[in-house]
Formats: sequence, C-alpha cells, structure tokens
Amino acid sequence: MSEFNWTPDELTELVNTNRLVLFMKGTPEMPQCGFSNRAAQVLRALEEPFVSVNILTDPRAIPSVCEWADFPTMPQVYVHGELIGGSDIALEMYESGELQEMLAEGDSE
Amino acid sequence: MPTVEWMEDEVRKAVPDAIEVTVVDLTGGQDHFHVRVVSPTFEGMRPLPRQRILLGHLKPYIPSEIHALDLKCLTPEQATKDDGEVFHPHPNRRSEAEFVGINIRPKEESE
Repeated sequence: MSEFNWTPDELTELVNTNRLVLFMKGTPEMPQCGFSNRAAQVLRALEEPFVSVNILTDPRAIPSVCEWADFPTMPQVYVHGELIGGSDIALEMYESGELQEMLAEGDSE
Repeated sequence: MPTVEWMEDEVRKAVPDAIEVTVVDLTGGQDHFHVRVVSPTFEGMRPLPRQRILLGHLKPYIPSEIHALDLKCLTPEQATKDDGEVFHPHPNRRSEAEFVGINIRPKEESE
C-alpha cells in the first residue's frame, strides 16, 4: 500500500472517491469496539460495497480523522463524501430509509 | 470522571429546552454513556446537526474523560415512537475490555 498520511486532502479524496466509507476500530470481520461493529453491520445490511478504514493501524489516524471531520468519536460513516455521523445515526438513518435514499440520490447526481 | 448527574446537567446546558434527558452509564466505568434527549429544538434538523449541539458542548471532555457517547436526539413526536432501547456496545464488558481494548485512543494504549 502506498503511504497514507491522514492529511485533510487525502481524507477528503478518500471519501469523495468512494460512495460509502466507514472509519472504524478494527475491521468488519474483526471489529474492536461494539459501536464500530454496529456501524459495520448497518453498512453490511445495505448489501452494497463499502470501504472500511481501520483507524487502529496507525496512531495518527484517530486525531487526524477527528480533527478533519470535526467529529470527536469513532466510528464515522461517510456517504458520497458527506459525514452522516456515528453508528447511532447510521442505524437511525438505515431504519428510516434515509441512508438508502441518500446513497441512491448521490448516484443519480 | 463524569457522573450520570454531571452528564445530565451538561446536556441540559447544551439543550436548555430539553423536555427529557436520560443518561445511562454503559459500562459502569463513567466514560461510556448513552444519552437520550427529547427537545423541540431538534425539529427540522437532520441527525448530525442535532448531535453537534451536544458534541460542541462536550468537546472539551472528549476523549479525555468521555470515551464513547451514543446519542439519541429526538423531537417530541419521535420520542413517542421510540422504544427507549439502549445499545450496549460491550455486553460482556470485562472479558471484552481485557482482550480487545475498548478505548477511543489509538495504539499506544492498546499495545
């Protein structure tokens, strides 16, 4: 893997070039936190491909991502480049159908 | 360490017209909290801006004292339909905490 330095430019590019991105502790297969697990399960339930970023692999990750996002906790879910929130909001928006709508709307733009 | 009472007070400062504030200490460790707030302030707001009201207020304490916050920001109408269920991220806290490391902070702590 090429070097990733968690700069605002790199993070912005990452979320803008992938329609669904999850920053989480661990991986969807091996989540290291219950909240991250919940967010991963919500994204899996969408049955759409998503990019997950394990922020435990680099000590720079959490402070960099949290400052860039102006959001203090992990996990974080991005849809078409936009932060929707953590696992609580992801679940809420999935249950209301808003998450699915947001994904589809971004595809048609 | 923030107590449940302290959290309730801070939430009420952040959302002065809150009709209902419920705080649950998720692990007993006074650092993982579930917060349910019901307020007309949230009407017409999307989920993230609702949370930002609280997160902005609590920012100085995250992640130093508050490691995890699970938030439900509801309008009065939504509250009538909400079952009040609380998500517990670490159901078997002791075993999971020991082997997995539940901290919000990165590597240096888990290594």
